[in-house]
Amino acid sequence: MRALSYTVAPSAEAAVARFAAAQGSARYIAGGTNLYDLMKLGIEHPAHLIDVSRIDGMDAIETDGDILRFGGRALMTDVAYTPVVRDQYPVLSESLLKAASQQLRNMATVGGNLLQRTRCMYFRNGAGSTSMVGVYPCNKREPGSGCSAIGGLDRTHAVLGTSEACTAVAPGDWPVALMAMDATIEMLGPEGPRNLPIAEFYRLPGDTPHREFNLHPGELVTAITVRKTPAGRASTYHKIRDRESYAFALASAAVALEMDGATVRTARIALGGVATTPWRSRAAEAIVTGSPLTPELALRAGRAAFADARGGQHNAFKIELGARVIADALIIAAERRA
Amino acid sequence: MEDERSETTQTCGVTRRVVLASGAGAAAASILPLEQRAQAQQQFARAETGQTVQVSANVNGRPVILEIDSRASLLDLLRERRELTGTKKGCDHGQCGACTVHLDGRPVSSCLTLAAKIDGRQVTTIEGLAEGADLHPMQQAFIDNDALQCGYCTPGQIMSAVACVTGGHATSPDAIREFMSGNICRCGAYVGILAAVQQAAKVMEG
Amino acid sequence: MPTQAFSEIARVDARDKVLGRAQYGADVKKPGMLYAMLVPATIAKGKVSALDVAPAMETPGVVQVLGIGDFPALRAEISYRGQPTALVVAETVEAAIEGAEAVTAVYETAPYIPLMTSPGAQRVDAEGFNAGDVDRAFQNAATIVEGIFETPTQHHNAMELFGTVAEWTDGRLTVYEGCQNLDAVKAALMKAFELSLDQIAVKSEQVGGGFGQKSPPKMQTFLVAHAARLIRRPVKLVTPRGQLFHIANYRPRSVHTIRLAASAEGRLQAIIYDVVQENIPDGGFRSTGYHEDIARLYAIENFRATAGDIHIDRQMPRHTRGTHPFPAGFALESVIDEMAYKLGKDPVELRLEHEAKNDIIAGQPLSPHFLNDCLREGASRFGWSRRLPEPGSMRLADGTLVGLGVACGIFGASMSASEATLRVRADGTTRMISSGHEMGQGILTAIANVIIQGLDINPDRLEVLLGDTTLGPQLATVGERGTASCVPTAAKAVEALRARFAELAGANPPAGNLHQQLARLKRPYIEVKVSELAPGQDASAIEAYRTGGRAGTGPDYPGFTSMSYIAQFVEIHIDATTRRIRMPRAVSIADVGRVVSPRTAKSQMYGGVVWGFSTALREESEVDPRFAGYLNDDLADYVMAVNADIGEVDVGLIDKPDPRINSVGVKGMGELVMLGTAPAIANAIYHATGKRLRKLPIRINDVL
Repeated sequence: MRALSYTVAPSAEAAVARFAAAQGSARYIAGGTNLYDLMKLGIEHPAHLIDVSRIDGMDAIETDGDILRFGGRALMTDVAYTPVVRDQYPVLSESLLKAASQQLRNMATVGGNLLQRTRCMYFRNGAGSTSMVGVYPCNKREPGSGCSAIGGLDRTHAVLGTSEACTAVAPGDWPVALMAMDATIEMLGPEGPRNLPIAEFYRLPGDTPHREFNLHPGELVTAITVRKTPAGRASTYHKIRDRESYAFALASAAVALEMDGATVRTARIALGGVATTPWRSRAAEAIVTGSPLTPELALRAGRAAFADARGGQHNAFKIELGARVIADALIIAAERRA
Repeated sequence: MEDERSETTQTCGVTRRVVLASGAGAAAASILPLEQRAQAQQQFARAETGQTVQVSANVNGRPVILEIDSRASLLDLLRERRELTGTKKGCDHGQCGACTVHLDGRPVSSCLTLAAKIDGRQVTTIEGLAEGADLHPMQQAFIDNDALQCGYCTPGQIMSAVACVTGGHATSPDAIREFMSGNICRCGAYVGILAAVQQAAKVMEG
Repeated sequence: MPTQAFSEIARVDARDKVLGRAQYGADVKKPGMLYAMLVPATIAKGKVSALDVAPAMETPGVVQVLGIGDFPALRAEISYRGQPTALVVAETVEAAIEGAEAVTAVYETAPYIPLMTSPGAQRVDAEGFNAGDVDRAFQNAATIVEGIFETPTQHHNAMELFGTVAEWTDGRLTVYEGCQNLDAVKAALMKAFELSLDQIAVKSEQVGGGFGQKSPPKMQTFLVAHAARLIRRPVKLVTPRGQLFHIANYRPRSVHTIRLAASAEGRLQAIIYDVVQENIPDGGFRSTGYHEDIARLYAIENFRATAGDIHIDRQMPRHTRGTHPFPAGFALESVIDEMAYKLGKDPVELRLEHEAKNDIIAGQPLSPHFLNDCLREGASRFGWSRRLPEPGSMRLADGTLVGLGVACGIFGASMSASEATLRVRADGTTRMISSGHEMGQGILTAIANVIIQGLDINPDRLEVLLGDTTLGPQLATVGERGTASCVPTAAKAVEALRARFAELAGANPPAGNLHQQLARLKRPYIEVKVSELAPGQDASAIEAYRTGGRAGTGPDYPGFTSMSYIAQFVEIHIDATTRRIRMPRAVSIADVGRVVSPRTAKSQMYGGVVWGFSTALREESEVDPRFAGYLNDDLADYVMAVNADIGEVDVGLIDKPDPRINSVGVKGMGELVMLGTAPAIANAIYHATGKRLRKLPIRINDVL
């Protein structure tokens, strides 16, 4: 890690101005759980850090009106345990609680978490850090160098949304839940404020896997909003991983339902751990919508979500696992209907 | 002290050269005359590196003001700039929990917390938990339940365990296990740790 | 004379540990101390043709860079990825890292073989073993079970990293680091730096977990010591976890082909066993070690073993907790289970019927042991009788598959000669100078308990010292022989001290505890120094102990062989839909002879179950053969058990002394406690699903 300057931004506007002044050599830092980690790994090398974690009011959690509004620097812990979120939107609360250890949840912010970068081991472990040196080619880290995961140890990699250039999984849990809940991202940049539906926030890897977010240079995530919906109550974030806690998803599903008795009126289904971005499955939603939910139908919906999936050398099991995770999640969510 | 620092910087200004595989290494400090070196050793001013940032915080109830390399972690501040070595480095990447401390009363991984970020805030480490000779009920519970073996992860476990109870998470064995899962114990003292949290919860919740 | 049962005391160093006061190697802080960082090689094999350290030298704060040729260990020839090529020393950790990252190298690469499955990998056979008439037993067999079993590369990953602090004072070197074999480090440092005995001290007051990884001398110790001497300032190096994966030793991947024959009457008659493992040429981990302990587990008289290495281009594999009996036992205990199904027998019954009395390796009797007591006690506590034998026959109401499994483990009870000095003072203090390393196993507590229960002293002011070469020779604390060696010596010291006191006090000793008695006798202290041998050893063993030679022996002693035993029972639940595997319950019962420190011994048992669980269901070091090295070289991707993984665990100890091994009847347990859990889990998964899984770790994709 090279020497760098560190300053605390008093306001979002000041942060954006400082970022612009640094001409590309700055990064915003909030919790730092991902950025500082990547700096230690030699993947990120900012010359200037602009601390946005003390910006007044940007940690507000508002639940009174028609929307839930989470300030960009609100801590994952605080959002997860906000009573309205915990009781009426379990999918959001659970996605945060299952995302990281309690220590990391006390550090990481809900805005920063949207920008968490992949856990692909070829991406993380070959960048020239002292832990190991530039051994693994990676298009995300070094555009054009190739993808080592393709044809390699790809057990944790994506089966949906992959390209010839990259199969790295989007690591987040919270963004998956937000995807199911049609959240909106509020940003502030040099050109002023801008809102973007979360569905438009993430980019498929395509030929440019190093470009992961539809975020303009210098834009800062200032808030996330979710329109209130009765679907929040009959919801869950179901996550299967290689151990019972403190691990990234092998496959996960965010499900939120509106039910008429046993019949599904509307369904929102998003997937994590299996795709290159947080992944909404309209196909799975269509299968359960309008029908009484049975375990068989739930599994059929799960399978539909993976109709276009492509397995690699070691990760094809995720296609079946992912389908079953959706099936279980649908049953869990349905049981929570009022 | 200032003198010594500038000296160190000077001695680093060697010319760039490529050392072949058979070549000899380069020693900057060995340029220093012996007497000066001995002197430097005695004085032992801490030379900071990189760009520095001033940090003024409260650590275990005491004010701490220091100028520190802006890249440094809170963990390396505690261990290498203060004599607070109770907090341990197990992974340096937020993957084990051995470095857990409380920042404004909440557990955080000090290895992934920039030292600069504690400015104006309160840090509590394992050394700040007991009140005088009296152990914190959680420390006593760890002894009573032998909730440790090698002891290396123990400070982090205890800092998390205290928060488990004060945050109201010690509601069931599974809730405790889940909350405590950010602290890896390679010796495998998990059964004792669960029992310790349960015991201390009774005392702490009075 | 085996002793009475020991009562329980609290871990003697627990207070320091909960206060954060326990001192580990990297906790040492010295005036003017500098920080070091290693630079790892990026190729798997070849040569460094040029190393550019100039950018490191230009890094502000960097004081010294050692490169290729500056020290014998920094070699141009690269034989594994991650091999250190340079050491950067700086004023701060941050500058050392920046400097290390700035070093670049030019390499000439050579072809390499990273895995046993790589093209060109060749097997090198080792010596085999044969007992009885295996061929005839197989010809006469009514039932044969066979399988090929595999256990993966695994890293120890003690929570404590490799931390070294070296300081020179007036030509005298002091090194602080976590270590399981201080004397070996001391001897190697003396040789490397041409030091006399009074010029070297190596200290390891507390070890933050060893598990075998900290027993051989580490290259970094020499580099740091050399740098500290050159710069004339103390130097600290804490090696990052990612580098440790590449330079520290590890459990090698191994493949076990095993055939088990039974007679028409259901007697287990013969085993044909072959093992092949990954190793480096002249590696320190023998392939011939696998069969030795498992061949002693049951009364199976005909046993043929063959073994071999496949040479790979990685760093050296070594002993890892559970060492040879873990992979070999996974194979054996899985085929025993399968045989029980084929014979229509209960797997506990089948084991009970084959209690071993003889050691077929050494051809002599086994010391009395209590494996069958472990099995019966475990079965009773676990509720084994509720098990329905048919695979897939037990389910919870929600459809969760339930599997109950059992397996046993065995480990050689080795011992070493050792010495101890015990001094009791009139001022109320007692000091024991012993030998070895405290790694969390509780050796300090066990020694303390022998003294506390043997002498009327003030227990709060008892100090047990070890882990410091200035105290005297320090036993290698490996192969679970530490406590088993030091405890009999401590017991002898207690006896000697009592005798000395009796001599001193005469027929009418004064009243009070020992301290008060000494005060009344106007004696400031009494002290005894004793040595104790393992069975069959003579005085040369003590000489070896004093001079860093081979002071250890066993588990085969003249006339008998002594082993430790364990029986593990586990309940496995597998989710009906996603097939998530969980272990809500485990029971673990061991025969480790006399239990000297009941509390710390129980903690070892709990920890062993966690280790067994983790090796069975979680851990694998992954190597991408295109690059060599370890891809998952951190604690997020190398998945180890967390608290939420572990359900209810019930542990028990038979606590009957081994009457032959030593005066206390104590055997070791540090390796043993993790044995048996992995095959018990695999057997339980078979019971739940009908699927026999022969490769570890078992993961969700294996049962989907």
